[in-house]
Order: sequence, then structure tokens, then C-alpha cells
Amino acid sequence: MEAVQPTSGRDSAYIRFPALSMLQSERSLIGIHMLIAFVALSIGLLMGPFQAFRRSPFVTDALGGQGIAMPIFSYYYQALTVHGVLNALVFTTFFIVGFSYFVTQRSLQRPLASITAAWIAFVLMFVGLLLTGYAIVSNQANVLFTFYAPLLAHWTFYLGLALVIVGSWVAAGVVFATYAGWRKDNPGKAVPLAVFAIVANYIMWITASLGVAIEVLTMLLPLSLGIVQTTDPQVSRILFWFFGHPLVYFWLIPAYVSWYTMLPKQLGVGLFSDAMGRVAFLLLMIFSIPVGVHHLFVDPGISELAKVSHSLLTFVVAAPSFLTAFNLGATIEKAGRKRGGSLISWVWKQPWGNPLVAAQLCGMLLFIVGGITGIMNASFTLNVALHNTTWVVGHFHMTLAGAVTLTYFGIAYWLVPLIRGRRLISNRLALAQIYTWFIGMLMFGAGMGRAGIDGATRRTDLGASGVYISDLWVPWLNLSALGGVVLLISSILLYVVLVGTWFRSTEPVENEAPIETEGPASSTPALFERWGMWIAIIIISNAIMWGPVLLQGLDFVNGFFVPGQPGAAR
Amino acid sequence: MHIDQYERYWIIIVAAVMGAFFAALLAGLLIFGVRLPSTPDSSYFVNPLALDAEFGEPGLRNMGDGQYTAHIIAQMWTFDLGSDETYKTYFEAKYPGSTYSGVDAGNQVIHVPVGSRVVFSITSRDVTHGFIIERHNANIEVVPGHIGQISVMFNEPGEFRILCHEYCGRAHHQMHALIVVEEV
Repeated sequence: MEAVQPTSGRDSAYIRFPALSMLQSERSLIGIHMLIAFVALSIGLLMGPFQAFRRSPFVTDALGGQGIAMPIFSYYYQALTVHGVLNALVFTTFFIVGFSYFVTQRSLQRPLASITAAWIAFVLMFVGLLLTGYAIVSNQANVLFTFYAPLLAHWTFYLGLALVIVGSWVAAGVVFATYAGWRKDNPGKAVPLAVFAIVANYIMWITASLGVAIEVLTMLLPLSLGIVQTTDPQVSRILFWFFGHPLVYFWLIPAYVSWYTMLPKQLGVGLFSDAMGRVAFLLLMIFSIPVGVHHLFVDPGISELAKVSHSLLTFVVAAPSFLTAFNLGATIEKAGRKRGGSLISWVWKQPWGNPLVAAQLCGMLLFIVGGITGIMNASFTLNVALHNTTWVVGHFHMTLAGAVTLTYFGIAYWLVPLIRGRRLISNRLALAQIYTWFIGMLMFGAGMGRAGIDGATRRTDLGASGVYISDLWVPWLNLSALGGVVLLISSILLYVVLVGTWFRSTEPVENEAPIETEGPASSTPALFERWGMWIAIIIISNAIMWGPVLLQGLDFVNGFFVPGQPGAAR
Repeated sequence: MHIDQYERYWIIIVAAVMGAFFAALLAGLLIFGVRLPSTPDSSYFVNPLALDAEFGEPGLRNMGDGQYTAHIIAQMWTFDLGSDETYKTYFEAKYPGSTYSGVDAGNQVIHVPVGSRVVFSITSRDVTHGFIIERHNANIEVVPGHIGQISVMFNEPGEFRILCHEYCGRAHHQMHALIVVEEV
């Protein structure tokens, strides 16, 4: 049944992929990435609502003053580590790598440059996951997903993370090689926007993850193995946040790929401006790294000049998201008017009953909240009041857990049926899942955000004895727990739909992969795909923006004298 | 490359709004004296294993004219403010005849009169901690090896907690202290 039609001609690697199914090679490779991603997410998701319940004074009072017990992982900070690592690192990375392979080969209509290398990448990432998972499950890595030195986890935690990152580099290499092959066969043509974005995303990811790779390999791994005895926490924080901010764009860009290149197809219109989409992705690639000091606004070891200049560039990196708001807003308006909408009514003349579309539109609505709160965080005057409060948790549950995750659900709802070869078990359940997620996340985010303004600290076991809870936080913590109830229902619905589709669905697939195989209709500057030049700009800008910060932090005479604290984390 | 007329307007609007935001930040910094927590010379290091010699005794000192300095050492899992007064002694003195029923982890209490300006200097003896004073713009990441400094004005009477906002291990949630701002 598999309609592989290699054709002759200059583009020797051309393949016509089946519209409503997958080639066997795609199915196993993409399938295994999605399987790992969603199994990891199922455990990570379960922790979330229980954290909200445990922080809720209403729940604690109802249980006679003792916070509710966490499921599976009894220790709160262990559960919190699981929630962060599985949701934000494992789910995202496996999903993005699998999704990027699929979009690249479908969009370019050619097979991956090396399926062997893709499997090597997977094995590296999977072994990494097992090592990190062992450290966390065995209660030897309660260091949360930021693992700030000198809190120390078991060495397998760090080695595992390093392997996941190295594996993702190999995966990036596969995409680069596939793209390079396409370029060779199609000289002078602009690549489809989706692949343009994926290439930009991987260039940014490799640059950024160098920071955390250096932190793990030169500082934390030797410290956890006892090769060195002391470290420098400020330097480790600098290296981590070189990586930490672009990490959030690494999650976001695949969602943008869906919004820019797939949503227009699902809405039956063309993208408003392909060229401005490319501008947005280039800006994200360049400006997402030299802004990371905005996570370190209240760190003592960093100059005010660095803080102010990174704050300025953070406002610049908001620009591509403003461009996106316009570009997608115009595209969606076009679709709404096509459906009979007028100046205002185009807003609701959208296919709000289609889960694939609703997931993305709801994600965009949450991203408006996430974007505005992000600009507030980037303003250092406000950051002094908000840093490390639950406000920040509210913020990134609008962006990562809202916009990004909802969009990934929207993608999974057409991708998983393609992998399985059967249609989604129920559009209605999928729709209920999307809307409960949207509402639950808004409630959760509102509660966390408001409590944070009154100083509720994040990453704090508010269900434990001896903790301080201000009266001002109480209603908002309870609201976020109520949001947690809705999100728990939504999580259950998610797995009912996914598992049901896998095991119970009998109908044939109905949704094609919404992948654009054509480049832009009008010409775009060739400059856009001169990646060497952009990489040079990335290197120079980061040398300017991060060089002084790192040099100021590095002091081998006076620094590096903080002993590791392996026992502290347990 | 074609850019739509409306998109051009949008770009100008966005640039103007973001520029105005940044100008407001700079005004806060340069005109209104908003300071980010940092040491006067941020290359200043302190050895967490030799705090007695390099940082000195923790404690609140009255510098006169309503000016105070507070030296604080954060460690797992207390803020050492150099005060002998704990939650237990404070609350039992406040409500004579009662017995403090909360967890007594030796959490310390300090008092300042309303209208005081306190310059906090804080460092860590072990891991990275956090420092936030509820309902005040005071927020420091307490990184071992460095001293974080911030100046805070206390204009309202009341009880305000100092909370650790950076996860620092098993009893992180029990790490807090109390500032009592007293009417004079």
C-alpha cells in the first residue's frame, strides 16, 4: 500500500509521501519519539495538580493540617524535580526531535540524510533519559530541573543530561544534512518556511546548549564524581542561563512552525507574509541567547550594566513575537472573513469546534498573557518584586504549559493517528481536553500570578509543617488548586484520547499532515539562508553580551572554593 | 521584500512601545534610584568557609538618623540575623500567657522602627539561597562566594517575613525570619 514513488530528474532523492499514512521508516522513528515523549509527560503531568493541591491551604486544612501526599514520589522536591525534568526537558526534547524529522522530510519531500544517525541520536537520548531517570527515581537527584551548584545530584543525573543534549546535536545534524542535500538539488530556491524555522531552531539550540554542556561536563560531573572538591555557584548559574532562556524558544519555535505553516492550511488560507515569518525566526535565533541575564537580575556577581543591556535585548526578542502576533492575526482574520466574518465577527467565525485548530488558537490566547507577563519579568524594576515568586510559575505555565503544550497536543491529534493509521477516537473528547486545559491553566496561572505579587515563593513545599503562609496568598493558592482539578481532568482526557486512538480506533485516518511542501510564493532575499553569516552574528553578539559576564564571574584565585553539597538535596 | 503597509505601522508602534518601556526602566535606574541587588564592586568575593574573617558577625546595627545595616548569613535552613529573639520568644512576649504552637526551628526576629532605611548585606555559608521580604521590593539571590546588597525603606508598621525563595534542600520551606516594623 505504501506509495513510494522515487522519480527521476535532478532531485534524485525526491519521494512522494503517502498523504494519510506513514512509511514504515517514518512510523517507527517518529513513533518511538512520540511514545517516549507522551509516556514521560504522563508521569510529569500527574505531579502538577498534586503540587497545586499540596500548596493549597484549603486542602491542607481539610486533611487536618497535613498537606496532601504526592503520588508515586512521596518527597515533594523529588516530585517537583520529576515534574520539571519530564515535562520541560524529556517531553519537549523527544517531541521536538521527532516532529522536526517528520516535518523536514515531508516538507522537503526527501528522506532523512541518514536514518542510522537518527537512530544513534535516539539511543543516545534514551540512554541519557534512563541514567537521569535512575538518579531521580532513586532519590539521589532532588535538585530540581535547574540543578544549581553546589547542590549535588548523583553523577548519573548529569551524565544522562549530557547524553540527551549530545543526542539532540546528532538529531540536528541529520536535519542539517537533509536540508543541505535539498539545497544542493534545488539551487537558488527558498526552502519551505517550516524547514527554515527548524534549521534556525537547531542552530540556536546547539549554540545555547554549549553553555549547559560546559557546565555539566567541566563543573558538575567532575564534582559529583569527586574528581574536584569545590565549585563556583555563580559561574554555574551564568552557564546555565546562557542555555536556559533559548531553551524556552527551542520549545516555542516548533509551536510557531505549527502556527505559521500548518494552521493556515487547516484554516484553508495562505499565510499573510512568509517573508516576515522568516524575519521572525531569524530574530528569535539571534536574540534569544544574549538575553539570559534577565534570569539573573538579582544575582550579586553580575554587573548592573550587564543586567540593563540584557534587559534591552529582551525587549528586542519580544519583537519577533509581536511580528508573529500581526502575521498570524492577519492570517486568522483572513480565514474568518472567508467564513463570512466581518470587522469583528471574524474572531468567532473560526473552526472553534475543530480540536486541531482550537488547540492552537487557545494556545495563542494563553501566549498573549504569557508574553505580557514575560515583558514584565524582563523589566528589572518589576523583577525585583517578582523574581522566584509563584508569579514566575504562573508566567511560564501560560507560555510553556499553555501555548507550547496546547499546540503540541494539537499536533499530536493529527500525528498520532498518522502513526497508528487510524483516525482520532473522538473529536469531541479531544475538544473537551483542549478547552479544559485552557480554562484550568488560566485558573492555575491567575492564582499563582496573584499569590506571587504578594510574595509567595515558588519551589516551596507549602504543605509541610513549619512553613509560612501569608493570609494574602490563601485565596489565590486555593484558586490554583482548583485550576489543578480542571487540569487533572484534562490530563486524563488527553490519555483517554491518545490511548483510545491507539487501541480502540477502527476508522481510517481523516486528517492529512498539514505540511507545506512549497517554498514562498514571492521571492525572499537569498540573504535569509546565508546561515554562515547568521552564525557569525550569533558568535559575535554572544561574545559581546556574555563574555564580560563570564569573565567577571570567573576568578580562579578567589572563586571556585564552594564545596559540593551532596547531602543537602536529599 | 514586500512588507504590508499595515505591518509597517505595526512595527513602528511596537518599536515605539518597547522603546518607551525601556526608557521607563532607565528612568527608574538613573532618576528614581532603583538599584539591582549587587555588591558595589561585583568582582567582590567572600569565602563561605571563612565568613568570620571576611564577612564578620551577623547582626543589625543602628547607624543613626534612621539608618541601619543588617548583616545576614543564610545557611541550611536559617537566616542568621545575629538576633537572640526567635518566633517563640517573640510571640510568647507578644501574647503573655500563651505558648507558641508553631514549629520552633529557631527562626529569628529583628525589630526596626517605622521610617527606617536598612541596608541588607547577605551571603551564604553553604548552598544558594534566596532572600525576599514580603510586600517590599527586596529580592536577592544569595549565591555562596558573593555578598548581595540591597537598601530597603520600611514605611509601614507590621510584621514582614524574610523568605528563602531558592530551593536549598530538605527543609527549604522552614527557612524564614521576621522583621517587625514598630510604630514609634
